[in-house]
Amino acid sequence: MIPARPDPWPLVRRVRSVSWLLGSSALALSAIGLIVISSASAELDAGHVSRQSAWIALGLLAMAAAAAVDYALLLRYAFWIYLAAVAAVAAVTFFGHEAGGARSWIGIGGFGGQPSDFCKIATVLLLARYVAEAQAPVAPRGWLVAASALVAVPVALIAMQPDMGGAMMFVPMLVAMALVAGVRRRSVLMAAAAAALIAGGIWIFALQDYQKERLSSFFRPDADPLGSGYQVRQSRIAVGSGQMLGKGYGEGTQSNLQFLPTPHTDFAFAVLAEEYGFAGVTVVLGLFALYLWNGARVAFAARDPAGVLLVTGLLAFIAGHVLYNTAMVVGLLPITGIPLPFLSYGGSFMLFCCAATGLMIGLDARRFVNV
Amino acid sequence: MKSRRNPAGEHGSDRLLLDMAVRLRWLCGALGLGLAVVLGAYWYHQIVRAERYERLAENNRLRVLRLDAPRGPIHDRSGRILVENTPTFRLMIDRSRSADLGASLALAAEILGRDERELRSALERHRGVPREVPVLLAEDLELNQVARFEVSVPEHREFEIATSRRRLYRHSFQTAHLVGYLGEPTPAEHARDDSLAAGDLIGRSGVELLRDRALRGTHGERTVVIDSLGRLMPVEDVRRIDAAPGESVVLTIDLRLQQLAESLLADKAGAIVALDPRDGAVRAMVSSPSFDPNAFAGGLSQEEWESIVDAPGKPLQNRAIQNVYPPGSVFKIATAAAILASGPIDPEETVYCGGATRLYDRRWRCWQPRGHGRVDLRAALQHSCDIYFYRQAVRIGIERIAAAARRLGLGGRTGIELPGENAGLVPDPQWSRDRRGYPWYPGETVSVAIGQGPLLTSPLQVAVMTAAVANGGLLVRPHVLEGGGAPPAPTGLAPAVVSFVAEALANVVANGTGASARTPVVAVAGKTGTAQVVAQETWTRSEDLPPDQADHAWFTSWAPVEAPELVVVVFVEHGGRGSEAAAPLAGRLHEEYFGDSGET
Repeated sequence: MIPARPDPWPLVRRVRSVSWLLGSSALALSAIGLIVISSASAELDAGHVSRQSAWIALGLLAMAAAAAVDYALLLRYAFWIYLAAVAAVAAVTFFGHEAGGARSWIGIGGFGGQPSDFCKIATVLLLARYVAEAQAPVAPRGWLVAASALVAVPVALIAMQPDMGGAMMFVPMLVAMALVAGVRRRSVLMAAAAAALIAGGIWIFALQDYQKERLSSFFRPDADPLGSGYQVRQSRIAVGSGQMLGKGYGEGTQSNLQFLPTPHTDFAFAVLAEEYGFAGVTVVLGLFALYLWNGARVAFAARDPAGVLLVTGLLAFIAGHVLYNTAMVVGLLPITGIPLPFLSYGGSFMLFCCAATGLMIGLDARRFVNV
Repeated sequence: MKSRRNPAGEHGSDRLLLDMAVRLRWLCGALGLGLAVVLGAYWYHQIVRAERYERLAENNRLRVLRLDAPRGPIHDRSGRILVENTPTFRLMIDRSRSADLGASLALAAEILGRDERELRSALERHRGVPREVPVLLAEDLELNQVARFEVSVPEHREFEIATSRRRLYRHSFQTAHLVGYLGEPTPAEHARDDSLAAGDLIGRSGVELLRDRALRGTHGERTVVIDSLGRLMPVEDVRRIDAAPGESVVLTIDLRLQQLAESLLADKAGAIVALDPRDGAVRAMVSSPSFDPNAFAGGLSQEEWESIVDAPGKPLQNRAIQNVYPPGSVFKIATAAAILASGPIDPEETVYCGGATRLYDRRWRCWQPRGHGRVDLRAALQHSCDIYFYRQAVRIGIERIAAAARRLGLGGRTGIELPGENAGLVPDPQWSRDRRGYPWYPGETVSVAIGQGPLLTSPLQVAVMTAAVANGGLLVRPHVLEGGGAPPAPTGLAPAVVSFVAEALANVVANGTGASARTPVVAVAGKTGTAQVVAQETWTRSEDLPPDQADHAWFTSWAPVEAPELVVVVFVEHGGRGSEAAAPLAGRLHEEYFGDSGET
């Protein structure tokens, strides 16, 4: 083959429709999020929309940067990245300032950020590399336990902040990566038993009273309609009263009259359901399905196990947030602080989602390179 | 790391990638299922149960506020205000919002400077009301107290300040029995009438009770938007139905006459009734002792209520219509009519009065121990000679006397609109057999002839009887509402009978026992009465009796004599002689009424 003239954009030319769909669905969801935040924060200060716009712009930069960086390089330094992320989380856990009863924030020039979001990517990277290496050619004994231990460190630190929701979201990631890598049936049973033990331990030793109350109120929301069942009840009223087509932009009474808790962050989807009805819910869930399926197509096309596991872990994180948040808003799961990717107001989580998207796009563009 | 360079590993890696892709597809399937379940949940809540949630959302954001209808004012016949409304602040409490009711009450007691137990008992009265319905805790807050409650609202959302109107009785004691007072509805009344809200007061007596429905008006409703803290949103009302204010009520009362009558009875127990003998319009109605209806306008505690009910002299009783008394010599009007109507007796025929006489083996005295000498009917009325009436009554019999009394409106309700009227009693042998269970004693006829015995009349009945004599024989229906009443009905007494009695009564004031009712302003006709309260074996002068056994003083009158416009009845409980204790008061009232009537 005669080498053609040097191609200045070798990667960009390999970006195919999968990545375009991935990126554009993320962008569409962010735009919808902006509309919802603008409606939900009408009663709050006006800065929310412009700040979220800035985060989306930063997110696009992060997406491009993540796509440009060779993921093999990231995998090579995964352990050090992991160590830095865990250290940052530990610093916040022990020295960070409190917001809403949890120490999980660091201030960066007026913008708040949670290192735990950064830690999600770091953990997925390290886990992808470790599990991929452990599979070849025959999985060594005990790799699942070792992988679990790697996850347990940041989970414990985040749970201590205490941010139970954030910590919990690591679990579907670990489970998805282990299942895709392949585990024996006996391991699954043992893991389930261990999970049950850990959950019991957490209930007894680690949960604060308000967290227990929230969990128990989930199972009988009408027992105390003004107490902890209030949020579940108000969220359901917001969703149900949205009906087929919703009440329209800015017309959601549940959110605008402040019956909904935190309408611009964790309950943004309730605002959407109230103002745009079942139609809006279907469109947004459809966009998420589109996003996740195209993410999965990146994994199918990946040429190395570490790449497949990396995509699996990132998708599991995002899918876990989507499923939990939407189920919690409609009252299927207990309320805990889990935001909806791309839609909820918040900087570092937006950066995480964008960076994860960028990693998948970059991975897809390199699908022939790293074989 | 080894596998990367190993061709076999290369093959193994492809195998592994294939297996992983299959397992990832399974996971994607599970995820799709999860999303479908979530979507199904939204479908269930947003489509299947949409109506229920829509209602709940509306309940959340909408609150229906009541727009109170101002209670109608009450005027006298000239439009002078007797009762109106004045603005006031009330403290309401929503018990369902209070985290600790005891602490809420303690705070309220502290701000109001009242006893906590007092507030607790105020709350007790609303026991049957659902918890989330705000109930009245205290009335008549001062502005600085209102401000303190407004400040405490963030932590104490159970408190609400309601602006309201309080009933103002301009002439408190002077018109009390007539206009009546307000009270809180009982739980049963609340249940019957859903237009009543917590804190509403309804008419409990007098005109307030009589015209309660019209005075109340119809309350309106405002549907407003509130936020989760219950704050009113600055948007247009969702729905508004304005209140229809209560109707105003005009009474036939003449305020100046009413006020004078009340002041004349100050420190006394008794009643004064003044009415127009042509149509029965009541110009004044006073009962003494009186009470202040303003005390009821803010809701009373049990103790306050009892202290008024049980006060000496029982001030809540309207002595003009609710109490009945022996009429004494005032009844001689009826006896005289019976004698004239009976036929066989010539009014010119005389009877000798020596101060006492013997009938049915008993000695009967005249009030004048020296005696009146020979008297005919005219003179007997003029000097109120008892002996004449004793002897003639025995001749005509009790049935004729009772019939004449009934024709003149005694022994039955006059039909005045005010509640609680007492029918009194005109006794006869049949009543004795049916009600008392023993036969009529002939001696009782003698007592009844001069207004004693079982006979009982209310001051209003006496006024109606007097009006019939004054107006030529028509029985009027007394009324206090302008435009009320009914056309007068004939008594059935012959015009000659009526005019004879009327002329005789003019003489009573001109130169008889009623002389002290004379006034230079107008010619008055009337009849005195001094009613014994206890049967006496030996004659004792009324002044020498203990106060609670002293005679009742009566005077009934009308003026002008020729074209009667006003009947005045004065009754003073244990007042002594009618000619001394009652007649002068009637004179004053006629003087007031006719003195400068152009200015009323």
